[in-house]
Parts: sequence; C-alpha cells; structure tokens
Amino acid sequence: MRDRRTTAILSALLAASLAAFAGPVPAQADPTEPNQVQGLTVAQGDGYATLAWTPVDGATDYQIERTPVAADDTATGPAVITGVWRPNRQINNSSPTFADAGFNPGARFQWRVRARFGTTAEAYSAPVAGTTRAPWGDPAVPGENLRTQWETTLAAQYTSDVNEYAYTAAVDELSDRVRVTEIGRTALGRPINMFVIGYPTPPATPAAVAATSPLMVNCNVHGNEPGDREACLIMARQLAFSNDPRTLDLLSHTTVLIVPTINGDGRAANTRGNSTGQDLNRDYSLIRQPETFALVRMLRDYRPVAGYDGHEFGNSSAGDLPMLPPRHQNVAQSIFDESQHMIEGHMYSQGAKDGWWPCPYGCNGGGNVGLSEETILRNTLGLKNVVNSLLELRSSGGTTRPDEGNTANNRRRKTFSALWTFQQFLDYHRANLKEITSARADAITFQVSNTGRIVFRGSRPIPAYPSPHPGEAPPPLDAPRDGQVLDQAPCAYKLTEEQYNGERTDGPAGQRTTVAQRLAAHGHKVVKVADGYVVPLAQPERGLIPLLLDGQAVEKLVDAERVYPTVTGERSGQLVVSGVTCLRDATVTGPVRVRAGGTLIATGSSITGPVDAGGAAGVFLTDTAVEGPVRVAQSSGPVVIVDATVTGPVDVSGNRGDAPLVAANTVTGPLSCGGNTQAPDNLGLSNSVEGPKSGQCASL
Amino acid sequence: MSGPLCDLLPSGSDPGNPAALAGQPAEAALQWLPVLTTFEAAVRASGMSADLHDGSGVTILAPTDDAFAAKFSEDDLDHLLVADKDKLRGLLREHLVAGSLSLADLVAAGTVTTLAGTTVTVTGGGATARLADQADTVCADYQVAGARIHIINHVLGSLPTTGGEGGHRAH
Repeated sequence: MRDRRTTAILSALLAASLAAFAGPVPAQADPTEPNQVQGLTVAQGDGYATLAWTPVDGATDYQIERTPVAADDTATGPAVITGVWRPNRQINNSSPTFADAGFNPGARFQWRVRARFGTTAEAYSAPVAGTTRAPWGDPAVPGENLRTQWETTLAAQYTSDVNEYAYTAAVDELSDRVRVTEIGRTALGRPINMFVIGYPTPPATPAAVAATSPLMVNCNVHGNEPGDREACLIMARQLAFSNDPRTLDLLSHTTVLIVPTINGDGRAANTRGNSTGQDLNRDYSLIRQPETFALVRMLRDYRPVAGYDGHEFGNSSAGDLPMLPPRHQNVAQSIFDESQHMIEGHMYSQGAKDGWWPCPYGCNGGGNVGLSEETILRNTLGLKNVVNSLLELRSSGGTTRPDEGNTANNRRRKTFSALWTFQQFLDYHRANLKEITSARADAITFQVSNTGRIVFRGSRPIPAYPSPHPGEAPPPLDAPRDGQVLDQAPCAYKLTEEQYNGERTDGPAGQRTTVAQRLAAHGHKVVKVADGYVVPLAQPERGLIPLLLDGQAVEKLVDAERVYPTVTGERSGQLVVSGVTCLRDATVTGPVRVRAGGTLIATGSSITGPVDAGGAAGVFLTDTAVEGPVRVAQSSGPVVIVDATVTGPVDVSGNRGDAPLVAANTVTGPLSCGGNTQAPDNLGLSNSVEGPKSGQCASL
Repeated sequence: MSGPLCDLLPSGSDPGNPAALAGQPAEAALQWLPVLTTFEAAVRASGMSADLHDGSGVTILAPTDDAFAAKFSEDDLDHLLVADKDKLRGLLREHLVAGSLSLADLVAAGTVTTLAGTTVTVTGGGATARLADQADTVCADYQVAGARIHIINHVLGSLPTTGGEGGHRAH
C-alpha cells in the first residue's frame, strides 16, 4: 500500500535523479578505450568553466575541446581545441584542471578532453555539457542590471571613459555599500575615481576606512593594457549588489578600494604612458605626475594593508597570470614573505583548483623583467609596508589557448582571469588578515628602527618553485651591484630651502609639485630646522626615503646631505638637545632634555633618566628604552614614538604638527595625550600600556 | 567581406557586425573592429577623422594591432601617438587612398597612390591582395559611409622598424 505522500516523495526522488543526469555529471566512458580520459567534470565560474579529470598515466599533455550546443546538447557550431594543459600549469599534477575561458558568458557548450603522448592523441573522453554562467547580475534588478560597454558590446569595445563615469555613478547611486570618491585628476583633467566599498556602508572618512585594514586593487596604469580594468568594473558591481553570504562577510570585515583607471588619458589614447608620455609605473616613488601623486596621497590617507596592481604581459609563453611580490631589498622581510605567501601559498593552490595558471613574473623565457625599481608600484607599495603583488594577464592566447585569434575571446579570457584573481585576493585578505597586519606591524617596527644597510637598487631572490612548478623560470636574481649598497645608514637627510621648496622642472608644466609637496603626499615626516629641512629615517617608510633623497640613489628627487649619528656608545650626564641630535645604539646615563627648537632622533638606544621635550622641532624615539617619564609637549613638528620601551608615564600633549605617531610601544605607566592639534595615531599597531590610556590616546 | 581574419571579427547579429557598420562614418566604424585599436587611436590622435569621409570617398588600409606591435616598439608608438603628430599624420596618409575602392578595384588598378604620394603595387586576387609586396589584406571590403576599410597585416610606409619579438616590456 502506498499513500499519496509516499508516491509524491518517490516521484520527487525520481525527478531529482533525472535532473542529476541532465546536469553536468562526471562523464561515463562506455566502453573505455586505452588511455581515454575518465571522470571529466565541469564547474562554472564567472566567465570561465573549470574542467577537471582523472590523469592518464604517462600523458605528456591534454587537449581541451569545446563545442557550442543547443539546450538539447546538439552541436550548433564546430568543435574547437580551446586549451592545452601542461604539467607546468599547476603545482599538483594528480588532479589536473583547466579554466576554459574566452566564450561569451551564458552560452551552452559541451567539452571533451583527450590525453596526448608526445604528438599522439588518444581517444577523447565522454563529453560533459553545461550552460556557462551569464554576466553577473539579474537583468530585472536595478543595480544588478548595470552593464559596462565592454559587456554590452560582447567585448568588441572596451569601456570608454564616458561609459566608465556613467556606470560608476550609477553603481554609486544605487548601492549604499559604495562611495565613489575622486582621488585626483589626470594631467588632462579627467577624474581619477575610487570605489570605496563596505557593508552595510563604507566608513565615512579616510581615517575610518584605514581603521578597517582595507585592501586596494589598482586596475589600469598602462592605458594600452585594459583587461584588468574591465574586471574591476564588473567586480565593483558584484560587491555593490551581491547578497551572497561570502560578499556580505567580506564587506562586513574590511573596506575594498578599487581604482579603475588611474591613467584615464592613456586609456583614452590607447598609450602605455600618460598624456605626457610618462610611464606611470616608473613614477610611483618620484610622483612627478598628477596621476601617481594622487594615488600615493590616497595610500597615505586610506592606508590599504594589501594590494594588487593589474597589467598585461606580452610574453606569449608565460602562464595565464604572472605574479610578483615587492622585491626591492629595502622592503621589510615580513612584507616580502607575506606577499610571497599570498602568491605561492594561495594563488598557486587556488589556481590548481580552479584551472588558472599563476606563475612567477617572467615565467617562461621572461627575460630581464621584474626587478627592483622603486618607481614601480609593486615595490613602492612594499616600501610602504603593503603586502602586494603585481598581476599580469598574458596578452596573447599562446600555445596553451589556441582559440584566441578571435579578439573577443582573447579579451574575455584576460578579463575573467583578472576577475578570478581579484576575487581570490579578497578571500586571501579575509582569511589572512591577522598574518597581513602582523607582517605590517613587523615591517613598521623594523623600518622605524633604522637598522641594516640601505640598498639603492637590488632585489630579493625569487627561488624557483619546487616541481611540478607553475612556471619554468623565476625572474632574474637582480642582486645589488657595486655602488648600490650603503652599509652605514645615515640618521637623516637634510635638504636646503631650495631643494625642499624650490621650483622643479620634472612633471607637466603648470602641474609641477615641489619636493615638500611630494614628501607630504608620501606622508614622510619632515622637521623644519633653522637652516633647512631634516628627514629622519626613523619612520615607517625608512626604506623609501634614501631612494628619493640620497645622492647615490638611481632615481632620486634631490641629492640631500646625509646626517650621521652624533651620539653613539656610552655617555654620562644630562644631554641637552638644542640643534639636531641623533642617538644611535647609545647608552645615555642621565636625562635628555630637548630645548625649544631642538630635534631629537633616537634609535636603538637606552636612556636612563627622563626624556623631556618642550617646544621641540621634532622628536623621534624608536626602538629605544627609557627609564623615567617621557614628556613630549608643544612640538612644532613631527612626533614619532614607536617601538619604545618606557618605564614610567608617557605624555604627548599640545603638539602642533601632523598627527603624532604613538605605536607599538611598551609603557610601564600611564599614556596620556591631550591638546594635540591632530589626535595621535598608531597606524593600527597598538601600544602595550600598564597604566591607563587617556585623552587622545585612549584607544591607542 | 573576404579574408582569413573575417571569421574572427564580430559577425552575424553581434555588435560591430559588418552590416551594422555600413552607414557609419569610418572613424566610428573603426571603434567596432577589435583588431584595430592602435589604428583607431592613431586616427583620433592625429585629428584626421574628417579625412576619412572626404566627399569623394576614401580607401582605408588599416594595419592590425599585431602589425603595429611588429613595426614599432611600445615607446616609439607612444611617442607617435602623444608627441610626434606630424609624423603620425604622415604615417596615416601612407594608409589612405583617394576614392572608395573595393578589393576588386584595387587589384584591377594594379597600383594605387596613397595620400602620402607613395605608389603601392597591388597583386593577387580572390580573397586577399598583397600591397607593396609586404602587406596582405586579412579582412577586406568593410563598407562604411563614404569609405572602404581593408584590414591589412603590415604597416606601410618608410618609417624604421623598431618593434617585434623579444622585447617584453616590464610591467
């Protein structure tokens, strides 16, 4: 006897099993031929389809074939080999995967895969079919239904500046999660916009955004490399309107910063450089151009802790997605290591899962690329203690994607591979924020201590990845050459009035900036002294400063005077500071008193006795132990107290310069701050304070 | 429409299909041909859009992006587009012929003279033609308002070659 309910359940089960058979289930080969690929599956992503199969013993590579099919899976067009899988493609060869891409999203296809032994092709697998994922967003839902010019023209056209601004404004208007802010203008006056995205709304001010440990994607610095930019515009829409749990979780925990087009003039003109012909990715340290100046100032204010910088790469034998960390040797080890972990620990393993092929920059016969120029954003960001990677999209299909003679196919593969990377980047940041911020904290405390040599040019090595590696060659060693190392780092650089405020000839006429303006945009601390300007190295961007100000630097702003330590070793009795006094590895037995207008820079030292600075021009106290109270009051210039160990109270009050930096200190006693023109900041590095924290330092 | 590249360009009812371009001025039609982004940018940078729909018609021999990349280094191309507009106009005139000539017209003529004054031989026939013994039409006979566009695979004119394989630009 069956009651109606049981029958209904059985029908539902039957329907479910039929539906399962109609879907993309593993292909059953029948009968099995020798060396025929088994277990082929397909899973749909945004603009790509991941094929996975069981490896065939001894196969040298595999070919992926795609055929357009109708709803009933009858072919509507010719079968085409769209992919070639090779062992160097992924870090584990036991579960081969291939991200097939280039097709028009939403279309339905059938795929087959066959192994090859040398040039001998074996039998194709049984086919799997699937409908690819349509462009993201329900066409019936406002906001979700926005599309870029690139999407509506099926990749025949890139999104123009006019279309970008309209799309950006629409996303801004329709999503509470998004604020679009203009971070500057190009040389020709085009707005440089940035999406600021958070849930339920983005924090209101740059400082509030900075407090969320944001991450940044820079999408288009070379105007003739537009693939990443299209991905950024699509991702902005996904983040703005998607209600899936992952997106809401991501945006509840941080703020996403997307700069779609820093080089709007170059994009419009289809040139690599900006309208003056300057390659902007050779200008991020010098910031001669308004575009790079705007981005660097944004970094100072919003303080992303992690970044990706999007490009395209003309090496047709490279992987899909060459990536590279900041390698300049002045970048803190912790930032280099964490960036490498993001690339090799995350992108390589996720790429093996989803079928994309990240690899070290250069990858295969890459030549002499991927070096240490601090003018390149990858390195500049590293010198600013930002975990980050360069991203390249291989320009041409190359031998592993033979169906990209069709330009639209080529453009779609590039853009959707960038979209995959940037989404993975968000996931990495979400899962590893502790490691990222810890690397940043280590980097900042290392930099402010001003220890170790200065390298003007020279990279950390990128070792080859163990076999089976996702690329065949790491970038060149690029070790520092003779004359590019300064073993004894100065304490500071001193600039003349002319060097600091003088008119410059670099940069576009009418938009030129002074060294003073550029150092301010970088956020570097500068002390005004009687006969010039002193830039101490005891600050968070210590590795970058000599590259801008030392005469030995390769691409410098000025040849400033090196200021060496004035007090080292043992010293007894009171130390009175009236000019610029620089302590390095000094042991001062006695109090230190900084007179009005004096500047104290102390690193790696110990002071037994109070430190008292009233009306100083500047106070830098880093990696230093002090017994007795520390009082820094009424300074006219910068105050930097980082990674100091103070036995006794610390008082920072009435200082009139930029926000005093009070971070990563250990204070046995109270920490009190009050009446500072700008409230002290800790850059996210909290202080360990035994006594109460009060006033402007209550939350530091 | 004829030539091996035509199959890889927008077709059928896709945006940018040949029928959709028929009534458009040449500078607008060029924006729909995804292999001509360099040539299209060059036309805009040179300020020569108006020259593409002269009253008496014009023939546009448009080199592909690959052709430009083989001809000029990235720096040289930027320099042409940004700084040396006179040279750029000269280069573009090497690719323009007075009168809206079909592929068959070009072959029948045997030689044509570009707006730069250079005589270009035309040989071959059928689906493609060879120009100046170095460039082949790869998709010919786009008809647009007052002009024909023939996509070619080599940059014409006498500027020195500075591009090509091997010089991967660093990011």
